[in-house]
Amino acid sequence: MKISILYGTETGNAEMLAEDIQSALSDNHQTTCTNLADTRTLDPGDFHVIVCSTYGDGELPMSAQPFAEFLEKEAPDLSNIRFAIFGLGDEEYAETFTHGSLKLAQILTAQGAIQVGERMTHNASGDDLPEDLALPWVAEIINSVQLKDSCPHDRTVKNASA
Amino acid sequence: MSGKIAIIGAGPSGCYLAQALLKRAPALNVHVVDALPVPYGLIRYGVAADHQSTKNVTRQFARIFERQGARFFGNVHVGCDVTLDDLLEAYDAVVIATGLSTDRRLGIPGDDRPGLYGSGVLTRALNDHPHAPPLPALGQYPLIVGHGNVAIDLLRLLCKTSHELDGSDMGSKSSAWLAKNDIKSITVVGRSPATLAKFDSAMIREIGKLDNVSITVRDTLFSQRPDDNKRLHALAAINGQGNGTIKVTFRFSCVPLSVIGDESVLGLQVRGPEGEEHISASTILTAIGFEGALDREHLLKRANENKERLYCVGWFHRGPKGTIADSRTEAQTTAERILNELSPDPERVGSTLFYGSSKAIVDYAAWQRIDAAEIAQSAPNRCRQKFTSTSEFLRAAQLQGGQT
Repeated sequence: MKISILYGTETGNAEMLAEDIQSALSDNHQTTCTNLADTRTLDPGDFHVIVCSTYGDGELPMSAQPFAEFLEKEAPDLSNIRFAIFGLGDEEYAETFTHGSLKLAQILTAQGAIQVGERMTHNASGDDLPEDLALPWVAEIINSVQLKDSCPHDRTVKNASA
Repeated sequence: MSGKIAIIGAGPSGCYLAQALLKRAPALNVHVVDALPVPYGLIRYGVAADHQSTKNVTRQFARIFERQGARFFGNVHVGCDVTLDDLLEAYDAVVIATGLSTDRRLGIPGDDRPGLYGSGVLTRALNDHPHAPPLPALGQYPLIVGHGNVAIDLLRLLCKTSHELDGSDMGSKSSAWLAKNDIKSITVVGRSPATLAKFDSAMIREIGKLDNVSITVRDTLFSQRPDDNKRLHALAAINGQGNGTIKVTFRFSCVPLSVIGDESVLGLQVRGPEGEEHISASTILTAIGFEGALDREHLLKRANENKERLYCVGWFHRGPKGTIADSRTEAQTTAERILNELSPDPERVGSTLFYGSSKAIVDYAAWQRIDAAEIAQSAPNRCRQKFTSTSEFLRAAQLQGGQT
């Protein structure tokens, strides 16, 4: 499967997690890992795994902002795009906890993109390490996507390269 | 690309630079030197003990040494143990990433009185910095000058109950000092209007959640600018909140004129929105920015001329503005520049330079032993108890024969 891992980061923690996800998936899949700052278009042939932090007052991190602004302005049709999203945040700031990833998911689905699985979040003030939550989560999502894609009667999104 | 690069300072700007260099050129020899036996600078000694999620960035920095091949040379003081010129001779490029640690002074009459303390000194002392003086008695009504996040960090820590410090790495001495403070009120003053204050609104909301405060916000003016409104919203939301025993008052548009008191601080004379007034204070804590040591200008100039393969990053380079994340952005452009300009010379001796003296060098493995020992000796409800002197560090690092 072709998996595009994208990250929106401010201090680099989301990038580190994205790299961990890539390492975990790269043995069995064709993966790329890209900063959202360098991303404008999404390939329907890829499954997208997005890691996004939260900054300031529940805002998108710096590196995700140009991408989000681009989507809101250009409103591209994303109905052939599938993604799963993992959010980083700090529950000490409860009102805005992981709002960065929440906002990004909303912007993507507003353009028709299909969110696969539940948005998973990590609390930096908790005891878990982000990769300990993210790796089982992403493995399960990739499994479910593969299962779905391999069943010819149950393909909601189909494309040439899938 | 090969080549040897020395980075002076293992704080966030130095570590982000090492990370960015090794991402682009994994075969580089990147050596991070620090005057202290322990890495991470501002993250360890500047970021508040109860903001562990900010300190989490050290997980990234650990990977620079554990996976990307950077080497750590702790307890090496450039200027004492080796000179900058030695480094320039031994390395293909040298980067100064030592930050800014000197508290900027108020620059008003009386700003040298006993009873005035800089936030940098206090923050380092609260964080168990080995060179920080003991924490001073603050009296019952300290006054904080400054409207940045450093001021709010100090305010928050002074107001927190011991239970609110659970999970932090506030050390035993600092915890005891905080517990025995008998503060009745803290006034936070600054010259800027509320709309232009530098703190983040999330930091203000944190103050509103504290158990033991009662908050008053004075002198705020409304503004049409949406950015400003966010800060005003946060201030308006905490105004009148809490019925704790520490009375917290935020004052804006108050220009400090002079420090009142001869023998020691009695208060601060300010020009406020309603004219001059005297704000009483038992001590004055300044959080109005940082500056460099005397030779910074000279070093910046040397780096600027760029004939010697010398670079500067972080606050040392940019001045006391910008966040930890800004240092990451700067590191990426600086790494590109260094790699473009690098011309490796195999004759340069690199780290051999450091092994000339008898002084113990703390490498990354030795730091890992210190780190493990600090975590192991944590008090209940704390995530770390730092060692507080070079001799303790060297003992925990299991390095023999080190001078202190």
